[in-house]
This record gives sequence, C-alpha cells and structure tokens, in this order.
Amino acid sequence: MIAFKSIKFKLTLWYVVILGIILSSFSFFLYFTLADSLYKGVDNKIKTMAEIVASSSNRPFGAGPSFTDLDRIMTERYGVRPLGRYIQILDESGRIGGSSTNIRDIKIPLNFPTLKAASKGQTTFETVQVMGKYPLRVVTMPILVDTRMVGIVQVGSPLEEVQEALHQLLLILLIAVPAALLFASAGGLFLANKALRPVDEITQTARRIGSGDLSQRIRIKRVNDELGRLASTFNEMIAKLEGSFRQVKRFTADASHELKTPLTILRGEVEVGLKKRRALKEYQRILHSNLEEIHRMSRIVEDLLILSRADMGELTMEREEMELASLAREVWEDLQILAQEKGVQLKFIGDGSTKVEGDPLFLRQLILNLTENGLKYTPPGGEVALTVEGDRDQGVARILVSDTGVGIAPKDQKRVFDRFFRADKARSRETGGTGLGLSICQWIARAHEGQIVVASKVGKGSTFTVTLPLKN
Amino acid sequence: MRILVVEDEKKVASFLKKGLEEEYYAVDCAYDGEEALFMAETNEYDLMLLDIMLPKIDGLEVLKGVRDKGLTLPVLMLTAKDSVEDVVKGLDAGGDDYLTKPFAFAELLARVRALLRRKEREPAGELRVADLVLDPATHTVSREGQEIDLTAKEYALLEYLMRHVNRVVTRTMISEHVWDYHFDPLTNVIDVYVNHLRKKIDLNSSQRLIHTIRGVGYMLQDKG
Repeated sequence: MIAFKSIKFKLTLWYVVILGIILSSFSFFLYFTLADSLYKGVDNKIKTMAEIVASSSNRPFGAGPSFTDLDRIMTERYGVRPLGRYIQILDESGRIGGSSTNIRDIKIPLNFPTLKAASKGQTTFETVQVMGKYPLRVVTMPILVDTRMVGIVQVGSPLEEVQEALHQLLLILLIAVPAALLFASAGGLFLANKALRPVDEITQTARRIGSGDLSQRIRIKRVNDELGRLASTFNEMIAKLEGSFRQVKRFTADASHELKTPLTILRGEVEVGLKKRRALKEYQRILHSNLEEIHRMSRIVEDLLILSRADMGELTMEREEMELASLAREVWEDLQILAQEKGVQLKFIGDGSTKVEGDPLFLRQLILNLTENGLKYTPPGGEVALTVEGDRDQGVARILVSDTGVGIAPKDQKRVFDRFFRADKARSRETGGTGLGLSICQWIARAHEGQIVVASKVGKGSTFTVTLPLKN
Repeated sequence: MRILVVEDEKKVASFLKKGLEEEYYAVDCAYDGEEALFMAETNEYDLMLLDIMLPKIDGLEVLKGVRDKGLTLPVLMLTAKDSVEDVVKGLDAGGDDYLTKPFAFAELLARVRALLRRKEREPAGELRVADLVLDPATHTVSREGQEIDLTAKEYALLEYLMRHVNRVVTRTMISEHVWDYHFDPLTNVIDVYVNHLRKKIDLNSSQRLIHTIRGVGYMLQDKG
C-alpha cells in the first residue's frame, strides 16, 4: 500500500478531485443556463405569437375571417406561419372559437385558474402534457378590448426540440466529464512520475551512501529547477562529509603512526636488551632512552587530547582582559635558560597598548609554542625575536615570532599548520616535536577570533604572526 | 650474512643493528631513501630491512629502484602502516615480506632467517657438512657430536662457508657478506679469522674441511 501513500498518488488524486469539481460545476452551469435560455426562448416566441394573434383578433367573432382558417390569415396578414406551434382562440367563456390546422385532433386544455387569471387580464405560462412523449408549453393570453376580455388566445409549442437538445447535452457531459477525468488522472500520474523521478534517484543514491560509499554522487540533469537544486545541495553536503571523513581517517592514521614509532623503539630496545646479560651502563642507556620515548608519547597524547577536545567543542575559553605584552614577557623570561643553552639570542620587544580579551593559559601556550619552535629551528649564534605590538588603527594586537633559522619551503608553508605535518621529520623528532604544536597554535588563535600566518625564506628564517582583536 | 637496515628513526635503526649483530649478522644502516639506494647498489647484501616512510625517497620508490637495477635480494618491509592496501602495495612493489611496527624482535629474527633460507632454497633447520653441524636458530656448532665454541665473526664466517659448500669463496665475497661497511680491505683480517676457525674445526679431526685455494680464497669441502 506504499503506492497509495506516495506523493505521486496524492498529487494525482488532488489534481483529479479538483479538476472533477471544476468540470462538474462547469457542466451544471452550462446545462442549467442553456436550459433556462432555451425555455425562455420558447416562452418569448409563443408570447410574441400570442400577442400578434390577440392584437389582430380584438374584435368579436365573425368580424374577421373564420378562425378555422387561421393558418391562411396568419400567412396573409403577418407573413408568419404558425409552424410547429399550435394556436387556439377561445371566447371569454372558454369555448374554442378556432384553432390552427395542426391541432385539429387535439385540444389545448384550459383550466379554471388560468381562465380566471385571463379574465383579470393576466397572461399565464404553463407546461402541459397533451400528447405523446413531450409536453407542450402553453401561453394563455386574454384578448382585450378596452380592458374588457373578449376572448382568449392560447399558443402552444412542443418542448420536444428543447428537451431533446438538453438530453443530448446531458449525455455528452456525462460521458465527456468522466472521460476527461480519466485522461487527466493518467496524464497527472505520468507528469508526477516524471517530475518525481529525480527524487527516486536521490533516494537510491542516499541509500548507497548510507551503506558507506561516500564517493557516490547524484547525476544532475536539470540544474535550475527545485529538484536540481536539491540534488546539488545534497551533493555538496556529501562532498563535505566525504572531506571530513577523509580528514578524520588521515588524522587517525597519522596519530597511530606517531604513537607506533615510540612504541616500536620501546619494545625493540627492551627485547634486544633482555636477550642476554648486559653491563649496568647498557641497562642505564636503555632505560634512559625508554624514558625519552615515554615523555614523547605523553606529549603526543596530551596534544592529541587538547585537539580532539577542541574539535568536540569541549574546551571552554576563559574571557579575561589582560595585557598581552606582559604575558609574552613572562614566556620570554621562562625561555631565557633554554635559549642560553642553545646559544641563541632571545629578544623581546613590547610596543603600545596590547590589551586583549582571552584565556591566559591558552594564549600563554600559543606564545610558548611559537617561541620554542623558533628556538628549535635556529642554529647556535642565531637570533629569535618575540614582538608584541598594538595597532590602534586596525584594532588588532600582533604577536610576531621571527627567527634566523632554517626557514620553510614555500610548498610547505601552507601545510605547517596541518596536524602531524613536519617539514623535516628527522629534525622535528630530534628536537622532541609532536607535529601538533602549530595546529594547536592555530586553533587557539582562531578560538580568539584571530588568525596566524607564516612568512619564511629558506636559509634566512621564518616569521609567525598572530593577530588578535584589540580590546578598547 | 650481511643485512642493510633502512630506517630513518635513528633509535629503531640502532636497536635493529645491535640485535642483528648479536645474531652474527653483518649490519649496515641507511637513514634515508637516497642513501639506501646507493648502498644497495654498491654493496652486496643478503637481505634488506626497509621502512616505508622515508625522507628524500619513499620506501616503495627505493624498492622499485632496487628491483629495476636487477637486484634480487630479499626485502623485509617494516612499517607502521598496517592497512591491507599498504601491505598489498608493498608486496606488489617487490617486497618479500611485511612486518608492522611495533613488532616482536623474535618474530623479526625468524622472518629474517626464513627469507635468507628461501634465498638459498635450503630446507629449514641445521646446516650439515660431513660431521660438522651448524644450527642457525641457536647459533650452536658441533663436530663429531662435540660442541665447538665460536666467536661471532668466526660463526658468521663458518655459516657463510657452509652455505657455499664445495664452492670456492673469494676473500671479496667473504668481506661483502660477513663484514659490514667499515671493513678495511687492505688488512688480512679474513685470513686471520679463517686460521682461527681452522684451528677450532679441523685441528682435532682426521678429515680437513677448510681448504685454501691459493691466490683465490677458500673452500669448505665435505670429501677428501
């Protein structure tokens, strides 16, 4: 019974019902208007005829030619033959004085109320059954001489033609309306089918996508109609889904790869170490190396946790007003020891008012990550500058971290913010990077309605610029 | 047996080298794809352990390069990628076996032994020449039922000679398959080791197995 619940069926049904109502109303209107007009036409004709006869007969019997020769009189005097009509002239008491030749054998009845009405000078229309199948329309009109009734004229016209025509019309309507409705429903179903076929296609594609194949798309034939737009919207949505699925898949693969490397080292070193008795120094070396890998794994797990909680929207940002420059100064002070160990000069420049609103912990991590990165990739003797400046004109605060390090190749500059992307894998591991630091920086900047960009020249150094909205 | 370890992760390369050397293999390490291709071409290795994700040239490309140059050495791939597609890709590119990280070191050794055995079309288990028996799984050597104590290099040398029984083995072949990249061809280290081995194997026995082929090298013979 699904077929009867479908939109196709409902559309067709509505269409047929509405069309049926319209057609029946039209038919009713046509039939009754036509009937009315036909009957009125008959009435007018017999009335005219009666008036002619009455006006010419407003003398007592015998004054003119014999009534019995009415046909001839009509033809001679008025040039009209009482064709198909019956005319009968009566005296004031209702006796028949004369009649047209075609009613010799019948008699138009005259009942008392009509006679009475005529004697009062009124004209009466009646439909009477005199002969055969069809009734007769009769007008009874008094012949008046100085408002005194001297006789009565009755003109009758058979309703055969009128009723025959109306009957024909009714027959035509009774056959034509249902036939039209039948054709309309077939046509309507066809049209609905045609219009809704893309919907079936969309359903089937959606079903295939549901079973896990996100590469499926709906073929769009007509781009600009409603269904075309629906299909292209649907396709866009699936493309987005496919994209984010691929991203999640790649991220999981990358994450597992990142975690597998330290695991391989841990397992391999321990297994090789346990193969035979070794000197104490060797055990110490293995344990030391293992500890390094454990630290590394914890850092990766921590960073992953931050990012996945950020993705889920579970991390809430504090909104606190603060001076960005003083936060940066603290980071700068903390990193002095690291910079001295590496033999890199770490400078700090604070310029202007840098009041921003944000989460001090996350902003601190942002500055720390960027500055630490700068130190990591700058060889001894180089320089890292941490600059914080307020730009009133543009309403932004900027954090700039420039180094004189190895630089980033142009093709890698866009990708440095991608998760687990490393321009130089070996160097990154040696310096203890997780490959997630810049992704976290980017997330923090964006969560503060800011942005982060990089400009770099290979061999010359890189500058990371974070822009945050300034608090007035 | 000489093995090339291709692995960009220094620590992984380091424990592989150490563990394999303790199993009497000669081991060289390459830390990127370029270095790996160069070393595989210039030295004769009996087996390659190959990581797939490598700097400079990808592991799969290294594998294709090695096969394109007509090198038939068995290649055991080591990688963290464990999807079916990756395994199929690796094997189709010319790899002989596949091991996903993190792996058990014992399994790695078993796979290495299996690949080396397959290369020589030898049955599993002990190697026998006359009454001399060598077990590659346990690294034990015995003659006439008497267990013989050998150093790592002596063992590796003997294994190589036994795998090429009744064939002349040149000093170059020995240096290429028993010693690693740091071998100095100008020394007489090989002759010294052969002499040590001869003392341990042949001295107490009536039948001499190790023969010197003057001006060429050595041969392990099971008759006469």
